[in-house]
Amino acid sequence: MRKVIKIFGIALAIALVTAACGGNGDTGTTEGDQATEDIQAGGTLKVALLSDVSAAFDPQKEYYSTTWGFYRCCLLRTLVSYPGLPGDEGGNELVPDLATGLPEVSEDGLTWTFQMKEGINYAPPFQDTEIVAQDIIRALERTADPEASANGYSFYYSIIEGFDEFSEGKADEISGLNAPDDHTLEITLTEPAGDLPFRMAMHTTAPIPEGAADGHVRDYGRYLVASGPYMFEGSEDLDFSKPADKQDPVAGYEPGKSITLVRNPSWDAETDEFRDAYVERIETTIGGTEEDIANKIDTGDIHINYDGVPPPQQLRKYQTDPELKDQVFAYPSDAVRYISFNVAEPPFDDVHIRRAVNFAIDKEGMRRLRGGPLFGEIANHVILNTLENDLNADFNPFPSDDSQGDPDAAMEEIKQSKYDTDQDGVCDAPECKQILAVTDEADPYPDQAALIQDNLKPLGIELDVKEFERTTMYDKCLDPSAHTAICLAPGWGKDYPDASTFAAPLFGAEGLGPDACCNYSLVGADAEYLKKYDYEVTDVPDVQDLIDECTPLTDEERIECWAEFDRHVTEEVVPWVPYLFDNNVDIVSSDVVNYTFDQFSGGAAFDHFGLVGGGEDS
Amino acid sequence: MSSAAAPGDVLDPTSVTTAGTQIEGRTPWQLFWRRFRQDKFAIAGCVFIVLMTLLAISAPWIADNLLHRGPNNLFIYDSLDEYGLPIGPTFEKMELEGELQHGFWFGADQAGRDLFIRVIYGARTSLFVALVATGIATIIGVTIGMIAGFYRGKIDTFLMRLTDVVLSLPILLLALGLSAACGLQKEGCLGGLIRPGLLLVSYIIGLFSWPYIARIIRGQVFSLREKEFVEAARAQGASNLRIMTREILPNVIAPIIVYTTLIIPINVIFEAALSFLGVGVPATTPSWGRMLSEASAIFEAAWWMMFFPGFFLFMTTLAFNLAGDGLRDALDPKTAK
Repeated sequence: MRKVIKIFGIALAIALVTAACGGNGDTGTTEGDQATEDIQAGGTLKVALLSDVSAAFDPQKEYYSTTWGFYRCCLLRTLVSYPGLPGDEGGNELVPDLATGLPEVSEDGLTWTFQMKEGINYAPPFQDTEIVAQDIIRALERTADPEASANGYSFYYSIIEGFDEFSEGKADEISGLNAPDDHTLEITLTEPAGDLPFRMAMHTTAPIPEGAADGHVRDYGRYLVASGPYMFEGSEDLDFSKPADKQDPVAGYEPGKSITLVRNPSWDAETDEFRDAYVERIETTIGGTEEDIANKIDTGDIHINYDGVPPPQQLRKYQTDPELKDQVFAYPSDAVRYISFNVAEPPFDDVHIRRAVNFAIDKEGMRRLRGGPLFGEIANHVILNTLENDLNADFNPFPSDDSQGDPDAAMEEIKQSKYDTDQDGVCDAPECKQILAVTDEADPYPDQAALIQDNLKPLGIELDVKEFERTTMYDKCLDPSAHTAICLAPGWGKDYPDASTFAAPLFGAEGLGPDACCNYSLVGADAEYLKKYDYEVTDVPDVQDLIDECTPLTDEERIECWAEFDRHVTEEVVPWVPYLFDNNVDIVSSDVVNYTFDQFSGGAAFDHFGLVGGGEDS
Repeated sequence: MSSAAAPGDVLDPTSVTTAGTQIEGRTPWQLFWRRFRQDKFAIAGCVFIVLMTLLAISAPWIADNLLHRGPNNLFIYDSLDEYGLPIGPTFEKMELEGELQHGFWFGADQAGRDLFIRVIYGARTSLFVALVATGIATIIGVTIGMIAGFYRGKIDTFLMRLTDVVLSLPILLLALGLSAACGLQKEGCLGGLIRPGLLLVSYIIGLFSWPYIARIIRGQVFSLREKEFVEAARAQGASNLRIMTREILPNVIAPIIVYTTLIIPINVIFEAALSFLGVGVPATTPSWGRMLSEASAIFEAAWWMMFFPGFFLFMTTLAFNLAGDGLRDALDPKTAK
């Protein structure tokens, strides 16, 4: 998913994590199973967010891991969902949620049928309304509406028959979606897609009751009708009988300030196999600095920082103190951190320059600036090892000792570049000076930028680094008219456990800015696009054929195809310097019991959190 | 003080009489120096400024020849621990990338750079920006003050209201906006007139700090233009321009020097503030303000990152203030203690 915000953890660290924290995670989940006895329900979980969610909780627009975490644990139920566990405990496997079981698929792979549970109602004010199949169709119709799903991920649903026609306004309904009765949903596809259940676990498909989103094309998130164990405080006061522009938004979400979740009285634990929902309330504050929040975690005023990273001094304190050590948790978050080249902007239009940079970057140093091995495993290719069954675990086309960079190999590449006119291994063309680089102004990115500049200087490549607030940074990287030559701070997490989520949005024409996301490298841009945005280069690498080749495959064949795609992109196209497969590192206050990591969102799973003594003490 | 014989100079009667029985003629320069050197604090300030300037000028030499590392060299493996936290100050030799080198006298920063080198390079930035900005402010301020004070009437009203407007602007906010607008694109703004970098910051600071000088100069000129020597010059047919530059300007040199010296520390702080807020000089240019901002996040674990840049910033502003006060006392006997 776009904009991975959290920083995370390790290679050997996985070993380390298993020893230090994984063990803890294990006991946590075991307790989780017997939980009802051991963990006292009740209390208020206090969460901190450094910044607000990206689209004010509008499910058709939120393409952000933190929001997905809130949806999954607390607010929204989907036909199938994830249990909120780490990957090695089944966190990547789908479980039925609103559906009674996993869907059945027809022999030709084109028709999928979901059976839904009966008697599940929405949160107030729709407490008397049952969730039915038509509500899922309503959500998908909203997903097809280009305005309501702006910057979302509607492209995942184009394979549904009639979806694009509806989207373009040529049809009144999506022909591939049928509800033969209230509790059956039939989905007809135009081509087989073995990953459809994963797509139906994303929250843009969560049911919307009739009338709730009407008139709220831009701001449905502030009128969101919940189906999960929690809802925004004050949801019962939403009045959908008034005209949309006369309605007051829900009190429990103040954009930029706070998110207050309370128990949803309609939620029945009997219908929900995997959410424990021990705590009574979840109060989230938005804003502040990591240091502030770290201090509050020390004192117990805040239980967890949900979108931030423990500052290094806090981490050192907890890691070196045996009494505090079991409050630190690190899990692979299934995200890659990378440096993205704009392959249409000199000097990075030259593959030799891009390769040289890949050789030159000190990846181990990049990791240490993030806090060391606890924060992840060094990455040498684009797609996560876990999504490729480790087929590329040893693949490293730009090797160096201890991953600290190989300046000599880098110079050899520079010599082959047209920008090295005297072929001495140092780029001497004016294109190599004052290169516009964009990065995040938050730690540790400015330091990483300094390291990158230090690594590239001997090659004659000089970056002019501009720092921005994170959202602006992503905009500058995505906007082709900004002509950002190199983007130093992006990260990408999986949308669901399939390698395809690392292909089309990142390297396909459908991910090109400024309207879509998140193809920062402009791989696959055509001549017309390049001309439109004033690029002198007329031809850039294209991998659309390879993407199309892998998409319909299934099982082993599919994984091998994506692994091959990964090798080709990493070594031949070279749009990135991948440097870290990230870990999520959390420090929780001592009041928290049963910390659990959710592999789906790459963050904590609040539905499994409990508080000491049911929160009585705090 | 080339204006030794300028008629406007007032001889301090007390200094003449207390000088002893033998009355000897002293140039204004001598008078100034006699008074100034008695101000120990001002002398100390000047000494610090001179040392600081020498250190700033020789920073590249120290980096290249003595320490063999620059302000932007990162020593991630030698000066950061496994959590990415920097090492503290050390005078012992240490191994850096396989070679034995001088230790990090001021410790390392959060990216593993030598804080000592960054602090002395930061002095270059601070002094450069402060001097250029103060130069700009002085030129604008003196010009506007002279014109307003000399011509009076509508011109004076207009220029002084302009000054009031600039004084009433929320300077920090405007500076933030300008830095953001002009600092983010390679092309800069105003058609490339203002480009990002050290000069941009200098212009911005300069553009906002001239009103103080303008007001003071206007006041001085106001009274000077009524003096007899100006009348005399006018009677001899001197042009306004000549009167302003030849007769009046030499007589306002003293306040110009004094207030320029006093504006410098304000501008040093201004640059630090802009850099602290992230809109100052580019990231690769070491700046005390930026160092302080970086230090605030890990103060608990690395006090030296805040202490050294903070100490130098404090000492620099203090030194300029002391020197400025001393100059004022020595040049303008009427305010003497």
